[in-house]
Amino acid sequence: MADRYSFSLTTFSPSGKLVQIEYALNAVNQGVTALGIKATNGIVLATEKKSSSPLADPSSLSKISLITPNIGMVYSGMGPDYRVLVDKARKVSHTGYKRIYNEYPPTRILVQDVARVMQEATQSGGVRPYGVSLLIAGWDEGILPEEDEEKEAEEGAGGDEKKKPSGKTGGILKGGPMLYQVDPSGSYFPWKATAIGKSATTAKTFLEKRYTEGLELEDAVHIALLTLKETIEGEMNGETIEIGIVGPPADHLLGVEGVEGARGPRFRKLTPQEIEDYLTNL
Amino acid sequence: MPGFDFSNYNRNAALHARGVPLPKATSTGTTIVGCIFEGGVVIAADTRATSGPIVADKNCEKLHYISPNIWCAGAGTAADTEFTTALISSQLELHSLSTGRKPRVVTCMTMLKQHLFRYQGHIGAYLVVAGVDPTGTHLFTVHAHGSTDKLPYVTMGSGSLAAMSVFETQWKPQLTQEEAVALCSEAIQSGIFNDLGSGSNVDVAIITGEKTTLKRNYIKPNERVPKLKSYIFKRGTTAVLNEKIIRKEDLGNFVSVHELAVEETGDKMEVDA
Amino acid sequence: MVGKDCVAIACDLRLGLQALTVSNNFPKIFQYGDNVFLGLTGLATDLSTVSDLFRYKVNMYRLREERNIAPKTFANLVSSSLYEKRFGPYFVSPVVAGLDPKTSKPFICGFDSIGCIDFAADFIVSGTATDQLYGMCESLWEPNLAPEDLFETISQALMSAVDRDALSGWGAHVYIIEKDKVTKRLLKGRQD
Repeated sequence: MADRYSFSLTTFSPSGKLVQIEYALNAVNQGVTALGIKATNGIVLATEKKSSSPLADPSSLSKISLITPNIGMVYSGMGPDYRVLVDKARKVSHTGYKRIYNEYPPTRILVQDVARVMQEATQSGGVRPYGVSLLIAGWDEGILPEEDEEKEAEEGAGGDEKKKPSGKTGGILKGGPMLYQVDPSGSYFPWKATAIGKSATTAKTFLEKRYTEGLELEDAVHIALLTLKETIEGEMNGETIEIGIVGPPADHLLGVEGVEGARGPRFRKLTPQEIEDYLTNL
Repeated sequence: MPGFDFSNYNRNAALHARGVPLPKATSTGTTIVGCIFEGGVVIAADTRATSGPIVADKNCEKLHYISPNIWCAGAGTAADTEFTTALISSQLELHSLSTGRKPRVVTCMTMLKQHLFRYQGHIGAYLVVAGVDPTGTHLFTVHAHGSTDKLPYVTMGSGSLAAMSVFETQWKPQLTQEEAVALCSEAIQSGIFNDLGSGSNVDVAIITGEKTTLKRNYIKPNERVPKLKSYIFKRGTTAVLNEKIIRKEDLGNFVSVHELAVEETGDKMEVDA
Repeated sequence: MVGKDCVAIACDLRLGLQALTVSNNFPKIFQYGDNVFLGLTGLATDLSTVSDLFRYKVNMYRLREERNIAPKTFANLVSSSLYEKRFGPYFVSPVVAGLDPKTSKPFICGFDSIGCIDFAADFIVSGTATDQLYGMCESLWEPNLAPEDLFETISQALMSAVDRDALSGWGAHVYIIEKDKVTKRLLKGRQD
């Protein structure tokens, strides 16, 4: 295969553009809308599960994936490319981090690793860029002393200061929720709330109106569903909507008792039933 | 862990030839056992780690996590049991995520034996693999050279003979969970008291279809009697030639981390001119 | 050695070639952050290789993650780095001591040369005087020592142990690590 030269398919146009990346973004902008909202105590990721035919079996389709117990991911764009990235993200979180430090990578480190994979596809020979944008949501434990944390929490008066949603990459130090978007070029941005895909612009305008500081996770799920409702084409029910949340540690999912310091996964996908419940309360 | 780094191997062989003693690896000495009961499986271990005749760790952990429903008890070279189980645990977690199924005990056992066989016994991990998966309850032993056994009750490590004598006299089919836990801890205690390589406490893990319960230091038959008198020296006993107090604020020889506000860039991509 | 809200780490200062003393000022404790310390014993060439290797790895960690490494994370890094050389190990047995940045709880652990971690709640010993140190620490250590008392205990344990080891001694360094300060003391020891 690589016994001869192979050149990068992504080359500069005379005007300084990398049109292959722009084409990849076009693919993303035709994809089904996905969105993420950061709350003070968690994050919600949501998307529509669209099947091309009424004959398709939607239960086997999954667009939101767990990467590490505290990090989840959703995409807009090409499904096959996404699955490759999910596998690579999971693998790199083990080989590049867990097998070295015996802990899972913080969100930003994972985002950088995934972004590196995507960037390499824009400069390597014989490959095309990934046709997806990703939303990566995770919770970091942080390393700041607990007392400082409490102090800050008091100052924040209800809206916990350490979980202050902001554009800072402070999650790694203070701990708390982080939401990132990664593009086919390999660039990434932290967000309070954002959307990608076909109706990203509409959804983002909607989110700008609805988003408030000090949002709780339950409210965020609510807003996520309202935003989807604005953009969705088909019917909204537990089968056609997919939601993943980063919330409090789900110790009941751990399956283990008596292990010191073991916490359950923070990321989990809502069941169709749970989504139905949210929808009825909409 | 794609491979080890052998870069020091020749140097170390040369050093050894010139009389530098090779460093001693921590061994777990160890008594480990496992036993199937109605509805699950129990594994148990002592908590002594040795370095030659020295007790290196009086309360180490020999029950290793593989997945919530699969646990391993390890004997042999301590580092090897620790890292081999961690590696397989990691691979199994990735496998489980990509298949969307719970990991199976046979999968774990097969991965372990293939890994150990590849290293021809040089990785000194002797393991008891136990777990409950959708295909049922399983209990295996895996030896460092890659051979495996499937039995209703197993023992391994330097105290395996002592522990097996308990099983051979007291084991009966269709044990209840309580009986199995009692039998396993009895077997470990027989190792603790009769085998010099084993000692201190009993750790137990009970794996059933619903959950795993780890009982760290389930029995502590060897608690040290607290000292009756204090040996604290009077302050100022030790002759000090020089003292330097480094306060946290002054520790800035290293890079300090400051948070900078990030300007919001409205644009999505930074490739456009 | 663990105390109440503090940890101590100490080393002697001898560098020797079998029975020939080469230097009497060869510290074996290295600092890798506000309160992460690594003690190394073994082959001197590996001591400097390993201490430099971890300086590199910790600096890379700091640049990548924009934070200091926690003692427990560092311990796992040491462990996996040593195990990578399972079949050609460095001739060192490290000791890590520090305070957890989040909880300020004391953390100590020791390693064999291939990276097996020995988590201890009381003390860790390493080096040529290991046997003597086990005896001293086992008898002198007690729980909840205040920083000043911990200093006396660790110093006396180390000095008494190395006095009965022909290959150790020539003074000592003792670090007492507390939440907001580190005290480093040079001890007067025999020079024979």
